[in-house]
Amino acid sequence: MTVSVANDMSIFSLVAGASLPVQLVLVVLIITSLFSWWYIFIKLATIKRAETNAEDFENAFWAGGDLNKLFESLTANRRKPQGMASIFEAGFKEYVRHKKQPRMEVSDVMEGARRAMRAAYNRELDDLDAHLPFLASVGSVSPYIGLFGTVWGIMNAFRGLSNVAQATLSQVAPGIAEALVATAIGLFAAIPAVIAYNRFASSVDRLSVRYESFMEEFTNILQRKS
Amino acid sequence: MIRSFEKEVSWRAGGLAIVVHLALLGALLISFNWKAAHPVLNVTEVELWDSLPNLQAPPPIPAKPIIEEQPTPAPEVKEEPKAEPEPVVKQEAKIDIALEKKQKELEQKKIADKLKKELALEQKKQLASLQAESRKDQMANNDKSLKEKEALKKIQQEALAEDKAQSDQQLLSAKASANAGVVDEFKSKIQAKIRTKVNKALCGIGNPELKFDIALLPTGELSGTPKLVKSSGTAVCDEAVERAIMASQPLPLPADSSLFSQFRSLKLIFRPNE
Repeated sequence: MTVSVANDMSIFSLVAGASLPVQLVLVVLIITSLFSWWYIFIKLATIKRAETNAEDFENAFWAGGDLNKLFESLTANRRKPQGMASIFEAGFKEYVRHKKQPRMEVSDVMEGARRAMRAAYNRELDDLDAHLPFLASVGSVSPYIGLFGTVWGIMNAFRGLSNVAQATLSQVAPGIAEALVATAIGLFAAIPAVIAYNRFASSVDRLSVRYESFMEEFTNILQRKS
Repeated sequence: MIRSFEKEVSWRAGGLAIVVHLALLGALLISFNWKAAHPVLNVTEVELWDSLPNLQAPPPIPAKPIIEEQPTPAPEVKEEPKAEPEPVVKQEAKIDIALEKKQKELEQKKIADKLKKELALEQKKQLASLQAESRKDQMANNDKSLKEKEALKKIQQEALAEDKAQSDQQLLSAKASANAGVVDEFKSKIQAKIRTKVNKALCGIGNPELKFDIALLPTGELSGTPKLVKSSGTAVCDEAVERAIMASQPLPLPADSSLFSQFRSLKLIFRPNE
């Protein structure tokens, strides 16, 4: 506890003057915030890409071309198809395989194709959902971590105050300020994480609805073909 | 941590995340004034004069260093004449002669007076020789007595000059001491006002002494913070006195604004337990 009033209240001296638990909290929060922002930008890019891919594939699919040609153009591509294309690929491959076998019931063929598409759909959804739980945790927990740091810092500040007979605000003010930095960083980590989580969750929902409706429509087409 | 399909965007995303945090740091640094606010006093001091100052009149303020810690008027008046260095040195030089002489002075003074009158009549040589003949024992001292007489004259003149200087000084110091009385009164008022606000319990037992330099504005408020010159030894006590100084603003100042120059910077001594 410095007796003299700390005039220099730069953020660096505030952080440097904080007690060890507060500093740990700050470090944890900054790392968390970095990661959550990293994931936010990754998800922004990947969800946007999944949406454009779905758009492109739907255009190509409903253009009314030959399904075999569409399948070949997808598999000829060295890259593994993603999103709606991977669902189509899995279903069509399974359908063709079943068709090659003799004496197969139509219902069995359709059942097999549906299962293959369901599996591909689940994998796609898992990819779309990646990192969303992390963002949800950061959004809900990091304010508490920040609050913990703040409470600890304020406890320290008031404990220091008890050594002084005549209490002035300037003796607790630096301690409280440095403690509040923890809350600020906690909120800074939490707010974008919550917003991003809600936005990404709704995007993923819309995409999954889109995938499911495509699956149903494709099943109908396959059934008509067989 | 990262899915395979996310690798191509991960670098860009990481860079953007760091940019966001740097932006936050920048916003924190720019938008907050992290320095504790010390209001910069842009006070212009103006001294109002009723008339143009008389340049011939010796300003009493520089002649007398009144900003002493505890001015005691009585020794000051005594000291004043002695403070003139030149006469003291001369006197010292003469004192040897004077001392020798003073033993004989009583006898010789009449002779010297006589000599003086005779010399004034420009018969000094003849009379001096006559005198020298008549008093052979004094003959050897004749030259000396001349010198002695001159020395005597000089001393008398000096004494006169001193008297004059002293009377001048007395005039000045009478004026100054009238001012000094007011200044002292207000200094003690300032001390008393601060003293009432000091939390004496913080200074413990014993008799600690503190010295503070303070700078005042004409309004009686402090300009800047009090400067601790001599600590009492306990930081808590120092702080208590400093708080008391801050709390007792505005400090009492004399209504006569010409005296303010003596309050612009003050040295204060505190003995909280007295």
